[in-house]
Amino acid sequence: MTVWDIALRSVIFLIVLFAAAKLLGKKHISQLSFFEYVSGIVLGDIAGEVILGEDQYIMHGIVGIFIFTAVTYLADFLSLKSRRFREIIEGKCTVFIENGKILEDHLKKERYSVEDLAALLREKDVFNIADVEFAVLEPKGKLSVLLKKEKQPLTPKDLKIKTPNEKEPQAVIMDGQVIYEALGKTGKTLEWVNKELSKQGVSLNNVFYAQIDSYGEMTIDLYNDKTKTSSPNARPLLLAEIKKTQADLESFSLQTSNKAAKNMYAKNAEKMTSIQKRLEPFLKG
Amino acid sequence: MTVASNVKQTLASLKGIEAQLSAFALNSKDSEAQQVFHEAMIEMAEIKNEIQMRVYEIQREEEQYQSS
Repeated sequence: MTVWDIALRSVIFLIVLFAAAKLLGKKHISQLSFFEYVSGIVLGDIAGEVILGEDQYIMHGIVGIFIFTAVTYLADFLSLKSRRFREIIEGKCTVFIENGKILEDHLKKERYSVEDLAALLREKDVFNIADVEFAVLEPKGKLSVLLKKEKQPLTPKDLKIKTPNEKEPQAVIMDGQVIYEALGKTGKTLEWVNKELSKQGVSLNNVFYAQIDSYGEMTIDLYNDKTKTSSPNARPLLLAEIKKTQADLESFSLQTSNKAAKNMYAKNAEKMTSIQKRLEPFLKG
Repeated sequence: MTVASNVKQTLASLKGIEAQLSAFALNSKDSEAQQVFHEAMIEMAEIKNEIQMRVYEIQREEEQYQSS
């Protein structure tokens, strides 16, 4: 057994394990089900054994890895098709707290002590069991907690604040490279980006990172961290401009002595206010 | 500053706001935002037209005042 032999075996099994992980996908890495959990452990063990064990045949290791991968893949596939099978393979979740009451039988069934439950709750930043409406132990061993309504974080909806929907921002320049795929999603062109950049007084090759938000505004980060760039502020500016114009119209209405003009100004000032109210959620922040 | 120049300035602001709203209506990706910006732009154009008419009126009055 030479060093070269071990090196060769390492490379071979790295490739085999990589192929197996690619085949099983992301779900495998998250180790959601029993098969994924077990095969995750065993695959690594087989590879390690064969790489360092002199008397092990490479082929034997590969067969072992292949079988574990294939069975896990098959189990994944079958659990997609059948609900029964899924329940057997991935297990069901167990309710630990329902209507604010701890279900002792269920705790016992999963062999969890009350301290274990309290520890899992603390991991979720819940220190008072009285705050919990419902808690369930997932098959993976994680506890999911639904807090009582009054203990849940405050949302804009609770405050009856209307918040506009925002689409995900797109990173259009990364590491100084234009990402055409993201640019396509925003519906903008390279010319548009160049124009926006020249508005801020920078050229494309100085930009390290650029992102376009839901309103088509671009935030940029330059290679040179000492250069100041302005964050997009067109929306707050527009809101300020609308407010100012509304105030102007109101003062015209007070100043003029012409009755028809007075009415016209007052009416439009009111219209401005209504527009401003509707736009405010979109123009803030 | 005459009244006319004040009103003209506001008219310019209104035009600017209308243009900016139109840009946002085109650039926004959320359809609700697009709609709100678009409607605001149309109403802004209506206000702009009325102020424009008023500017014409004021100018005519001032001309009469100067000529007399």
